[in-house]
Amino acid sequence: MDANVITTWASLILLLPLAGAVISGVFGPVALKGRSHWPVLLGVGGAVAGAVTLFRQVNGAGDESQSVQVLYEWITTGAAGTWFTVNVLVDPLTAIMLLVVTGISLLVVIYAREYMRDHGDPVRGYERFFAYIGLFVFSMCALVLGGNFLLLYLGWEAVGLCSYLLIGFYYDKPSAAAAAKKAFLVNRIGDFGFGLGILLIYLTFQSLDYSAVFAMAEAGVDAAGDPISPGRFTAIALLLFCGAVGKSAQFPLYVWLPDAMEGPSPVSALIHAATMVTAGVYMIVRCGAIFAASPVAMAIVAGIGAFTAIFAATMALVQTDMKRILAYSTVSQLGYMFLGLGVFAAEAAVFHLYTHAFFKALLFLGAGSVMHAMGGKIDFREFSGLKRVMPWTYATMLIGSLALAGFPLLAGFWSKDEIIHAAFKHNAFLGVVGLITALMTSYYTFRMVFKAFHGVTRVPEGVHAHESGGWILVPLCVLSIGAIFAGYAGVEFHTGAFLGIFEPHGWFHHFLEPVTATFHAFDVGHEASHEAASGFVAHMSHYGLMYASAALAMIGIGIAFVMCLDSPMLLAVIRRAFPRAYEVLYNKYYVDEAYGQWIVDPLKKAGRICVGLDTFLIDNLVRLVAFIPRAIGWALRSMQQGALQGYAASMAVGLALLLVIVLVQAGT
Amino acid sequence: MTFAEVFAPIAPEVTLLIGVCAVFLIGVSKSAAVRAAVAPLTLLIMLGAMVATATCATTDAAGPVGLAFDELTVYIRWITLAIGLLLLLVNWHVPADGEQGEYFGLMLCSMAGVLLTASANDLVVLFFAIELVSVPTYAMVALSRTDQRASEAALKYFFLGALSAAIMVYGFSFLYGVGGTTTLFATGAVDSLETAFAEGGAINAYAVVGLLLAMSGLAFKVAVVPFHAYAPDVYEGAASPLTGLLGFLPKLAGFVALIRLLSVCQWDLPDSLMWMMWLMAAATMTVGNVLALLQTNVKRILAYSSVSHSGFMMIGLLVGPVLGEGPMHDGVAAVLFYIAVYGMMNLGAFAVLAMLQVRGEAAESLDDLAGLSQRAPVLALAMAVCAFSLMGFPPTAGFLGKVYIFSSAFSLAGDHPFHGPLVTLAVIGVINSAIGAAYYLKIAATCFVRQPREGLGRTEGSMPAFGLAVCSIAMIALFVRPTDLVDRAKNATVSVGQSSNTRVATVDQPHVPHVD
Repeated sequence: MDANVITTWASLILLLPLAGAVISGVFGPVALKGRSHWPVLLGVGGAVAGAVTLFRQVNGAGDESQSVQVLYEWITTGAAGTWFTVNVLVDPLTAIMLLVVTGISLLVVIYAREYMRDHGDPVRGYERFFAYIGLFVFSMCALVLGGNFLLLYLGWEAVGLCSYLLIGFYYDKPSAAAAAKKAFLVNRIGDFGFGLGILLIYLTFQSLDYSAVFAMAEAGVDAAGDPISPGRFTAIALLLFCGAVGKSAQFPLYVWLPDAMEGPSPVSALIHAATMVTAGVYMIVRCGAIFAASPVAMAIVAGIGAFTAIFAATMALVQTDMKRILAYSTVSQLGYMFLGLGVFAAEAAVFHLYTHAFFKALLFLGAGSVMHAMGGKIDFREFSGLKRVMPWTYATMLIGSLALAGFPLLAGFWSKDEIIHAAFKHNAFLGVVGLITALMTSYYTFRMVFKAFHGVTRVPEGVHAHESGGWILVPLCVLSIGAIFAGYAGVEFHTGAFLGIFEPHGWFHHFLEPVTATFHAFDVGHEASHEAASGFVAHMSHYGLMYASAALAMIGIGIAFVMCLDSPMLLAVIRRAFPRAYEVLYNKYYVDEAYGQWIVDPLKKAGRICVGLDTFLIDNLVRLVAFIPRAIGWALRSMQQGALQGYAASMAVGLALLLVIVLVQAGT
Repeated sequence: MTFAEVFAPIAPEVTLLIGVCAVFLIGVSKSAAVRAAVAPLTLLIMLGAMVATATCATTDAAGPVGLAFDELTVYIRWITLAIGLLLLLVNWHVPADGEQGEYFGLMLCSMAGVLLTASANDLVVLFFAIELVSVPTYAMVALSRTDQRASEAALKYFFLGALSAAIMVYGFSFLYGVGGTTTLFATGAVDSLETAFAEGGAINAYAVVGLLLAMSGLAFKVAVVPFHAYAPDVYEGAASPLTGLLGFLPKLAGFVALIRLLSVCQWDLPDSLMWMMWLMAAATMTVGNVLALLQTNVKRILAYSSVSHSGFMMIGLLVGPVLGEGPMHDGVAAVLFYIAVYGMMNLGAFAVLAMLQVRGEAAESLDDLAGLSQRAPVLALAMAVCAFSLMGFPPTAGFLGKVYIFSSAFSLAGDHPFHGPLVTLAVIGVINSAIGAAYYLKIAATCFVRQPREGLGRTEGSMPAFGLAVCSIAMIALFVRPTDLVDRAKNATVSVGQSSNTRVATVDQPHVPHVD
C-alpha cells in the first residue's frame, strides 16, 4: 500500500465531510439557505471517493493489507518522545466500514435533499440538519479510521453527540426532546464502562495504540512483559462491551433506540440502523485480540446477543408503528451480530453488518417515504393498501423486507444464515434461538408490509397521498439493488452446494481474513470442546441448515399472509386467547416502566437530595468563602476605590513586603 | 560593518518604526479618504514586518551594539506580528476620525517595543524597549474612547507605570553595580552579567535586591500580585478592543524580559528569590480568580482573569528551561506556548464585547451579554469557545496550555529543593482552574441561558469579526493540532540559558502526562 495515498485520502475522508458541515452550518443560515445540502453532499461524495480509493489500496495489497499511518503528533513531550499521535489504521475491516458508512451517508444525504424540504424545522432547520449529518459522517469516519483507542473514544462520543442532536432535531416537540435526552443518558451508562475499559487498557499496556496494544494482547503480556491474567482480559473486554451494549442498543440498554425514531427518518436510516449502532460490532472485531482471549467475555457477548435478538423480535411482533417495528428489528439484528461475534464468527458478524446496512437503511428510508406521503403518520392502523398509491416505494420496501426476512438468495439470507450456522457449531441452544428469531423476523416484517401496502387503500383524512419524488426514489432503488445483490460478495459458486451452486463463504470472508484471524486462532481449542455438545450439527450439514432457514423465512411470510390478509379474525382469536401475553408484548415487557420505577425515580430522589445539599450546604460554604475577600475588600476600601495614591501605596507596601521576605530568607 | 550589515538583522523593527513615521504623517492629512487609508496601511506595514522576519537571518547575526538574536527572538517576532495582525483587525474601528494616525502609529510603536525586548542584550536597551511597549499604551487608553473613565484610566496607568519603571530601572542599577557591565550575554570578548554571575558568589545580597526590584518592575507589566491593582481599572476604562492589546503586548514583553533576566542567572536563583516567585505565583492565581468571582462587569472579570493567567505562567517561569525536553517538561516552552494562546483567547473575548452595543453604549456587563445566543448565535459560540479556552477546558488550546504548564511543574528532579513546592504550586493552580470555571462558565451561560435584553445589537464594521473568527477557530485548531506552535516554542528555548543539571528530571514514564 502506498503510504502517501493512504495519508492523503484518510485525511480527506475526515476533512471533506467536516468542511461540508462547517460550510453548511456557518453559511447555511445567511447565504445558502435551500442550497445547504450541497456542501455536505459534495463533502460526503468526496469521502466516498476516498473510501473507494482506500478499499482499492487494501484490496490490491495482498498479504500486507494493514497500514498504520501517522498523520501528526498531538502532544509531544520532547526528547522523551510522544505521548499521543493522531494516526490512522487502514485494513480490510476499516475499508469495508468506510465503504458502508460513506456510501449509505451519501444516499441518505441525497434522500434528505427532498425529504427535509417538508420536514425541516421552520426556523433554520434545513441547514442545521445537513451540518449535523456532515459532522456525523466525520465522527463516524474518525471512529473507524482512528489508529488508537483515544481516537476511537473521540469518534464514539462524537457520534453519540450527533445522534443526540439529530434525535432531538425537532426540539420543540417534547417527545423528541425527551427521546434525545434518553438516548444520551442511556449511552452515558455504557460509555462510562467504555471509558473505564480504555483506562484499564492503558494501565495494562501503557499504550493506547492499536498496534502496540494488540501485539501485546496476542502475546498475552503487559507492558512490563508479565503475563496478563485471564481475569484482566475479561475485565477489559466486559468494560469495552458495556460501551457496545449502549451504542449498539443491546439488552439491557436497548431502550433508547426505539424512542430515537422521533428523529427524522433519514437519521433513523443512517445513524440508528446502518452505521452508528454498528460501532459496537466494529469495536469488538477491532479488539479481537482482547475479546477472543477471554472465553467468559465471549460467552457473555454471545448470550446477550442471542437474548437481545429474540427479545427484541418478540416486541416487534405486535407494534403498529412502522418505524418502531424497524427499530426493534434493528435491535434484534444487532443481537445477531453480537451472537456471531460471541461464537467467534467475526467475519459473519461483519458480513451481516454490511448486508444489514443496505436493507435496513432501505426499509427506514421507505418508511420515511410513507411518512412523507401520509403527512407525518407512520402508524399502519391509520392507512393501508398503499401499494397502488406508492408503487415504487412498495416495490423497494418489498425487496428490503424480503432481505430482512431472510428470503433465499437476497442479501440478508446469506449473512444471517451464516451466523446461525456458526451458533449451531458452538452451542445448539444459541442456534435454535437464532432460528426462532429468524421465523419471527419474517413474520413481523411481512405483517408490516401486508398491513401498510396491501388490502383496501385507505389514507388518513386530509392527506393527499402521493408517490415521492426522484431525490427520494433514487436512493431507494440503489439500496434495493444492494439489498438483492450485496450478499453475493460473500458467496462463491460451485456445484453441489446450496441449491446446486451457492457456497456461502466467499470473497468477503477471504478479504477479512487478516482481521478475523485472531478470532479463529483462539477458537481452535474451543471448537473441539464444543464438538460433542453440538452433535446435532454434525448430522446436519450447513446446506441443510440453509434449506431449513429458507423454509422458516417462507413460513413466517406465510403466517403473516394468513393472519393479516387472508383471515384477519385469526389474529383477533389468538389475541383473545392470550390477552396477557399480548398486553406484555405490546407494552414492551414494561421494561421502560420498570426502569422508571427502579432506576430513574430513585435517582431523581437522590438528585433532589443532592440539590438540597448543594443549595444549603455548598452554596452557603461558597458564600462564606466569598465573604472573606469581600471583607478584605471592605477593609481595604480606600485602595479598592480607585484612588491613585492607594494603588501606588499598595505597590510600595507589596514591594517592601517582598524585600523583607527575601532578605530575611537570605539571612537565614 | 557596513550600514546594511548592521540593520539587516533588525529589519522587522526598522520596518515597523519607518511605518510609525509614515502612519503619523498620513494621519494628519486633511483629506478624509487619506486618513481612512491609515488602517490598511498599518496592515501592510505589519505584513512587511512579517516578510522581513521571514527573510532576515537573525540567529547569531551581529547587529547594532546592545542587541543579540536567537531562536527566542524569532519566536517572539512571529507571535507578536501574527497576533498583532489580529489586534489590528479588532481595533480597526476604534479611533475617532482624525486620530487614526496617532492610534495605529502608537500600536506599531508598542509592537516594535516587544520585538526590541526580544532582542535586547543590554540593560539599557531592555529598559528602553520595555518602555517603548508601555508608553504608547498609556496614550492609546486615552485615545480609545471619549469616556471620562478612559482619561482617568490612562492617567492612573501612566503614573503607576512610571512608578514601576522607576522600580525596574533602580533594580537594573543594582545589577550594573554588581556585575560592572550592562551587557546581558557575552557576544565576544565583552564582559557580561552572565559571566559575572556564573563565576560563583556573584549573586550576593545586592544582586538579589537588584533582581528583586527588576522583577517587581516587570511584574507590573505582566500584572502579577502585588503589582496588579491597576489592571481592572485600566481594562474597564479602555475600549474593549484595546483591552485585548493591553492584556497581551505588555505581558508578552514582561515575560520575555523576565526570561532574559533569569537566563542571565542561568536559572540558578537563590532560594529566597525562588520563594518570592513562588509566593507571587500562588498569590496571583488565587487573588485574580477570587476577585474575578465577585465582578459583574465582564471587562473587570477578564482583567482579574488576566491577573490569574499571569500566575499560571509564573509556574512555568519558576520551572525554567529543561533542555532537550518538550513543553511538557520545559517550563519556558510552556510559557511561550501559553502566552500565544492567551493572547488569542483573551483578544477573542474582548472582540465579542467590542462587537456588541446596548442602546448605543459599549457592552460591558454580564447583563449586556444575556441571551446573546438568540440575537447573534455565532458571536455567542465564539464567546463560548474563548471562555472555555480561558477556563482550560478541552477541546480548546487553553486546555493544552494548562496541561503543559502544570506538567512542567513536575519536571524538577526529585531531590531538587523546589520539587515539592512546585508540585504544591501546580496543585494550587489546578484548584484555581476549577475556581476560574465558575466565572468563565457564568459568562458562557449568560450568553446561552438568559433572556436577551432590549436594545442589544451589533456595532458597525466587519473587520473585528475577522479577527474574532481567527481567534476562536485557532483555539480549536491549536487543540487539534498543537504540534506546529509547540515545536516552535520548544525550539525557542534552546538558547535561554543552560539550566543546571539538577533541573533535568528523572521522569519515570516520560511519555505520560502527569496532569490532565
